[in-house]
Amino acid sequence: MKRPRLARIAAVAVAVALAASGCTGTEQESGPGTEGRIAYLDYGDFGGGSNPQANYNPYLDASRLGATEYVFEQLITYDNYGCQAKPWLATEWNWTDPRTLVWKLRSGVKWNDGKPFSADDVTFTFDMLKQHKALDTKGIWRYLSAVEATDPQTVTMRFTQPGAAAFTLFSEIKIVPKHVWSTVPDPVTFPNAEKPVGTGPFTVKAFNPQQLTLARNPDYWQADKVMVDELRFHKADGGGQIDQLKLSRGEYDTNAMFVPDIKKAYVDRDPEHNKYWYPSGGSISVYMNLTKAPFNDTAFRKALLPAFNRQEIVDKAQLGYVKPASQTGLVVPGQADWLPKDIPNQGVIAYDQAKADADLTAAGYPRNGDGKRVGKDGKPIQFSFRVPGSWTDWVQAQRIIVANLTALGFTVRAETPTPEAYENDRAIGNYDMLLGVHGGSCNMFRNFQEPLASDQSAPIGKKAVSNFVRWNDPRTDQLIDTLRTATDEAAQKAAVADLTKVMMEQVPMIPLWYGAKWFQYRTTKAVGWPNEENPYAAPSDNLLIITNLKPAGAGAK
Amino acid sequence: MAPVAYFVRRFLFFLGTLWAAVTLNFLIPRLQPGDPAEAIVSRLAGQSESIDPAQVQAIRVMLGTPDGNLFDQYVQYLGAVLHGDFGISYTYFPYSVTHMIGQALPWTVILVGVTQIISFVVGTLLGTWAAYRRNSRVDSVITLGSTFLGTLPFFWLALLLVYVFAITLRWFPERGGYGGGSSPGWNWLFISDAFQHSVLPAVALLITGPIGWIIGMRNNMVQSLGEDHTRLAVARGLPRRRVAITYGARIAILPNVTGFAIALGGILGGTVLVETVFNYPGMGRLLLESVSSRDYPLMQAIFLFTTIGVLVANFLADLLYGFLDPRVRKVESV
Repeated sequence: MKRPRLARIAAVAVAVALAASGCTGTEQESGPGTEGRIAYLDYGDFGGGSNPQANYNPYLDASRLGATEYVFEQLITYDNYGCQAKPWLATEWNWTDPRTLVWKLRSGVKWNDGKPFSADDVTFTFDMLKQHKALDTKGIWRYLSAVEATDPQTVTMRFTQPGAAAFTLFSEIKIVPKHVWSTVPDPVTFPNAEKPVGTGPFTVKAFNPQQLTLARNPDYWQADKVMVDELRFHKADGGGQIDQLKLSRGEYDTNAMFVPDIKKAYVDRDPEHNKYWYPSGGSISVYMNLTKAPFNDTAFRKALLPAFNRQEIVDKAQLGYVKPASQTGLVVPGQADWLPKDIPNQGVIAYDQAKADADLTAAGYPRNGDGKRVGKDGKPIQFSFRVPGSWTDWVQAQRIIVANLTALGFTVRAETPTPEAYENDRAIGNYDMLLGVHGGSCNMFRNFQEPLASDQSAPIGKKAVSNFVRWNDPRTDQLIDTLRTATDEAAQKAAVADLTKVMMEQVPMIPLWYGAKWFQYRTTKAVGWPNEENPYAAPSDNLLIITNLKPAGAGAK
Repeated sequence: MAPVAYFVRRFLFFLGTLWAAVTLNFLIPRLQPGDPAEAIVSRLAGQSESIDPAQVQAIRVMLGTPDGNLFDQYVQYLGAVLHGDFGISYTYFPYSVTHMIGQALPWTVILVGVTQIISFVVGTLLGTWAAYRRNSRVDSVITLGSTFLGTLPFFWLALLLVYVFAITLRWFPERGGYGGGSSPGWNWLFISDAFQHSVLPAVALLITGPIGWIIGMRNNMVQSLGEDHTRLAVARGLPRRRVAITYGARIAILPNVTGFAIALGGILGGTVLVETVFNYPGMGRLLLESVSSRDYPLMQAIFLFTTIGVLVANFLADLLYGFLDPRVRKVESV
């Protein structure tokens, strides 16, 4: 009893001291904000590692703080769920030819220090990315050749080759003010820590490594749509358990974290207000080393399609939070518009072990007398299957996949290397079979080019950029090239349709499930969050969400 | 002359070890597999997202690639270390390693330093008392009690403290060095806030801290109390207490002094476990983070500081020992 009493005395002493000093500590009054707005919302982590430093340089992806998402804006934003481009700092854009893109800028936009925003800022930003390769994290200068201000409201961009494939990248490049950044000696090492100047809906109000507070920018160009006076981001703990607890206590208005058994831990605590929506991200697929037998045989790979119990993986390894993936490489239902109509069940393939067994035998891979599946050389087929050992949900999935394959007579060694060894072996092609991630973005070119284009591959032993299965098919390359150059949607759709057929017919990889984008929200203070009924944005589309939130009780839910 | 030779030899030994440590510190990160740029991007993207090769390339350019062959790099590294330049942290780019360590160090030095000193004093006193009253009830309680506490896994004890006092009773904050409402500086709000946050980690350290000192002190002292000169003192009729303190404890404390010096040197590395459990913004957590995110410059600097801390402490303990215990000098110079 001794220690608790001491501790209690200490706590009381501290509490009294705090009260005496007239301070409220971390708790602050909640109440209605001015003019019917929400006083503040509590958000989750703001990035920057466990000991974050003030860093509002929007191009330093690894160390900047989440505030940059609200302080800086782009020419366009994307609804990354439905893949629709929305006008933002630019109101219109027009491909005058496949290599020339003309932007009309929004008028009346001001930087938060009062200076007007103009085409000069846009050209300055892009020229800076050209000079400093370290800042060009989207690789936009792979495509661009020049960016010019035609007049104060118009920017003309020229591309080295037809530039349609680069279009979605403009939704990720933040525009910075020339009058601030032109005075910075080296923008790569510029933390922009003091009062960052941007055009966005919020400004940085206060920061310490535990909490980042943003204040509404009253002069924002669409200030009438921002109904929140303050955003407070709270540093997450390393393991996440404490944050889960705080989430379940209702201390966050929104968060984006993995929670085991979200229904019991969160929704059931307050079913009326606690909600979650986990839309699909990239496809997690079985990657086969296509340079090795039997994986180099299309008939073999095609026969494997129904071999995997995708639903069991979703239910057991992924706690039912995700959806089985479509073989097309697209994310359904979000990208269903891009699918050819004649693909059954949106390309999601059902588990059918008997069919896989029969198809494998028909493809020339029968079972021998011991029930072992044999290759064309008559020897039992043996291979290894790798996932990083520390990614526990993948290890769970690995068990199911290995069981599915063993049931078909394969001898599979389940291996669990470190993530670094896994990444390295994947890059140099030192594997038989493993799990990989691809696609999921709104850039259809990237979705197919990265995993499938032959120029993203490399000989075995050399590091491939992103085509780790080493798919090498002239027709695929040609379709990807069409996708890269096609500026009109019909031509893009035709190319994507043909690429989904490559995925279905030639099976370069076998998608199993979609990674989830974690997103929890509470409707006690704010409503209008994106969800399954109203999927106007992906959970990461911060600018779209913040301009759609309304005070709870004031309008429709 | 013998004592001088002893000190010179210890100093040369110190320099040799220091050089070996610095060299290993240079080599080990370079022998690790994996590309830091890729590690950074895959951490940003998360496990279920595909990585953008353009982003990896940009980050590679940002971090820069080392110039020249391994030997040139080694010479450059030695030069930079001598100038106290440890480079820019990868995880906290563009902040320097020195800046990051400067922020984390006070937290660890204050928390771990204070608890170490208290642990040493309390442990030594309890150990002396146990030996003074050896085989009595006091001795059994102290010895058995500390053995029992010592077998409890530390992280379990720490989690239990968090669960009971932070989560269930909510008397103390569950993590961090200070709350979101205060900002670091010499103001009352921050200091009281930081104090409140340090109670649980300090308690966790203080429960397990003194155990080693208790056991060590008790055993040494029981032994020294059995030696001839102590028995002579008892036979001469000196007061029991004086025999215990000046004959028993004074000799028995010697190994503990060395241990204490080394423990103080080790503070620089932080206590990874306690800082991780309580999410305390000190050196231990910084080290853990730098290792997991392959932040080589930061990792190297922390290792180097820790090594130098331990080596210097060791050297000082050697010197101290030479002064405190003449037998050491004698034996070494034979």
